[in-house]
Amino acid sequence: MIGQAVQVLVDAVSVGGLYALTALGIGLIFGVMRLINFAHAQLIMIAGYAVLLFFAQSAVLAVLGAVAGAVLLALVVERMAFRPLRGADPATLLIASFAVSFLIEKMMIMLVGSRPKGVDFLPMLAGQVEIAGVRLQLLQLVTILVSVVLLVATTWFLKSTRLGLEMRAAAENFRMAEVLGIRANRVIASAFAISGLLAAAVACLFVAQTGLVQPRMGLQLVIIAFVGTVIGGLGSLPGAAFGGFLVGVATILLEALLPPELRVFREAFLFVGVAVVLIFRPQGLIPARGLAGRI
Amino acid sequence: MATLPAVSTNESAGRRWLPLVALIIVVLALAGAAEFAPIVMQRRITQGLINLVAVVGLYVFVGNSGVLSFGNVAFMAIGAYVSALLTMPAAAKGVFLPDLPAFLAAAEWPVLGGALAGGASAALVALVAGFPLMRLSGISASIATFAILVVTYVVLGNWTSVTGGQNSLMGLPIYVGLWTSAGWAVAAIVIAFLHQESRSGLLLRASREDEVAAVASGVHMVLHRLMAFVVSAFLSGISGVLLAHFLGTVRVETFYLDLTFLIMAMLVIGGMRSLTGAVAGAIVITALTELMRQAEVGVTIGTTTLAAPGGLGDVLLALLMLLIILFRPDGIAGGREISWPFRSSVAAPEIQSRKPQ
Amino acid sequence: MTVPRDLTSPGGRLVELGGLVIRYGAIAAVQGVDLAIDAGEAVAIVGPNGAGKTSLLSAIAGIVRPSAGSIRIAGRPLAGIALSDVVREGVALVPEGRNIFGSLTVMENLRLGATPRRDASVSADIDRVFADFPILGERRDQPAGQLSGGEQQMLAIARAMLSRPRLLMLDEPSLGLAPNIVDKVYDILRQIRSQGVSLLLVEQNAARAFALADRACVMSRGVFTLAGTPAEIERHDAFDAAYFGVAMAKAGAA
Repeated sequence: MIGQAVQVLVDAVSVGGLYALTALGIGLIFGVMRLINFAHAQLIMIAGYAVLLFFAQSAVLAVLGAVAGAVLLALVVERMAFRPLRGADPATLLIASFAVSFLIEKMMIMLVGSRPKGVDFLPMLAGQVEIAGVRLQLLQLVTILVSVVLLVATTWFLKSTRLGLEMRAAAENFRMAEVLGIRANRVIASAFAISGLLAAAVACLFVAQTGLVQPRMGLQLVIIAFVGTVIGGLGSLPGAAFGGFLVGVATILLEALLPPELRVFREAFLFVGVAVVLIFRPQGLIPARGLAGRI
Repeated sequence: MATLPAVSTNESAGRRWLPLVALIIVVLALAGAAEFAPIVMQRRITQGLINLVAVVGLYVFVGNSGVLSFGNVAFMAIGAYVSALLTMPAAAKGVFLPDLPAFLAAAEWPVLGGALAGGASAALVALVAGFPLMRLSGISASIATFAILVVTYVVLGNWTSVTGGQNSLMGLPIYVGLWTSAGWAVAAIVIAFLHQESRSGLLLRASREDEVAAVASGVHMVLHRLMAFVVSAFLSGISGVLLAHFLGTVRVETFYLDLTFLIMAMLVIGGMRSLTGAVAGAIVITALTELMRQAEVGVTIGTTTLAAPGGLGDVLLALLMLLIILFRPDGIAGGREISWPFRSSVAAPEIQSRKPQ
Repeated sequence: MTVPRDLTSPGGRLVELGGLVIRYGAIAAVQGVDLAIDAGEAVAIVGPNGAGKTSLLSAIAGIVRPSAGSIRIAGRPLAGIALSDVVREGVALVPEGRNIFGSLTVMENLRLGATPRRDASVSADIDRVFADFPILGERRDQPAGQLSGGEQQMLAIARAMLSRPRLLMLDEPSLGLAPNIVDKVYDILRQIRSQGVSLLLVEQNAARAFALADRACVMSRGVFTLAGTPAEIERHDAFDAAYFGVAMAKAGAA
């Protein structure tokens, strides 16, 4: 019984970690640009295909390929689509982001077809380990470890580097940051690069778990993680990570606790939660200071 | 804001109605021409006119409020399912939906009643959901409409006893042809035009450029926005009804992100700041997708078939939409209303941007 | 008295505006303003709400692009300078409402003020800020949003000064502050001036600004209606009409 509870808990924390990384990637871009980046799904997708391309040679190469692919795509998208639209109204940015997301997905479907492809990535993590009498999946433990490491590293970067400081300043008040001499292009491109890196990590873990890549992978992840970004507080970076984690844990717990006939409505509950948060606590659960009225 | 109505009164009363007359003529001419076209082409044009109703529906909210909505395809779904449930033969419902509540199982409404009920249900959902959500500021309101889309999609896709869940509903009366869709297209254009020329519509357009001023002017802006949302949902609901009774089946998968993208692309490419833009986008993109569809089928010359790669149409549509946003943000129509075919156009009632020029 | 077309004086000219026009859509906020500021000068612009004062500062800071006319900073046209490079030309802005980064610490706010600098004396300068304003030093690791209004104003000025500007522009530095705090703010501005930094001051509180400025301009409805030394302006009959008259007419209409 305890063992089962621990298994559910580990499951919840590992899924929570994946969503936290995804929500942080989305939150970072929203923070500096007030842009909801639907194309984050395609960053995950492109990294997934990079894994497919290289996993047979070596796992290290596959991870590097995933990082390179997602970071590169993030930078290209920023440069080609979002930089020319900087300062445009939110509706225009939202449409552009939607269009970019569809464009990349449809290009991928045209190039490789829409059928899922099997990937036997990191098979050595498929095994289980027994810790204090509880059998746990190795991959889940690795997922938790990677999530924690990346969250800590991102926090360190934001807190302790000059670029991170500039990024936080830009997230709070972009115009004032520029008045003080902070270069917008550098900050925004860096934010996109980091979101690409986070997307690549999510893709590697996700592919290892599901064993599949397909052009629409990442979409569902991003839609759910986005719930976390909103619940945590749009524009608040710790909020995004925490909200993503919360949503991941919630999906697993709802899965385990809801009666079967309600389980299928899980996502509906999440999005009703989004609406409720927007209405009653629009600044989110962990509000970003100084953002009032800017969203 | 007090100077606004002057935009309309400056024009002569007759001139004010010219865009409406011109757009109706365009639709009727299109349908009339389709009479003489092969049956396959007629079906494409019918589909285009259904798209037109959907795009005009989206325009009523997005064009007038300046807030992007992801929720209108949800209203299409609601319209489609309500009409389907009310008009399907009881026997067919017995097969597909054995667990349907008795009053729905027995209902065999006339199709017009079903259509109006579909539109009204969508409007009602918009009213109830919009009441708390329309007070949200721009981007939050857009997120809220996205929530409406996902919740509707999940509920319709899993409420198996009423909607059949992931399965298709079949056996709907197929009554939507060329002139039914043309009739509704004209009706949609008239409703959208009357709304945007109404006091509520004009005030909403004035608030579009300046949300701070709009919020400062108080609760009325929320009501005007809600009004547009409800009218918009009604028209979207109707377009869902038309689509369902054109195809004869309803499937929840139809009403999600792909359709949202298509309708939004039509509005953006046509130009989301004028009714003319909405109509133009629907017509032009329907024509382009049909061309691309044929290109993907290919032409056979002798023994070789030249065909565009499958999926190219979708790629070009997304690319076109992105290019429009980047280089011609007001779309084909450029934020203007058509005044009369072959004559200079008039500016849509419009408040200048606050950005310095 | 008519507005002199040429307000310049010999010497190193820092900022030069010629025929500046700023439009927001159909509304013209600034409708043809000429102004020159020389090294070491303190210039005050006073006038009622909505006169276009903030737009004028925003244009010099590079935030708003003028619809017509020219802005030159140290002889260079501003049109070719990116917003983030204006501060590198020696122009710093303390905007209305201060715009400190509330979620960042006092220390982080100050470090951001030194963004354009590459020299090694930044931390020495920050230490000097803490010596001058002990309260900022005590709270160096607290979020700046927790400071009082007056402390935030000190922080905003200190942050702007850390870029080592030649011209410091302040938009309503006394707004919303208690009179004794305003005294302090103006003491600081006097000190800054004594270091040879030029000041461009936008104020509704004309008396305060006049006490500090070498020259003053009264702005109303997008144009300068009076210009001269503060003493000249205060003596002028048109001053009350141009300034308080408009303000009172507005108050009456509201």
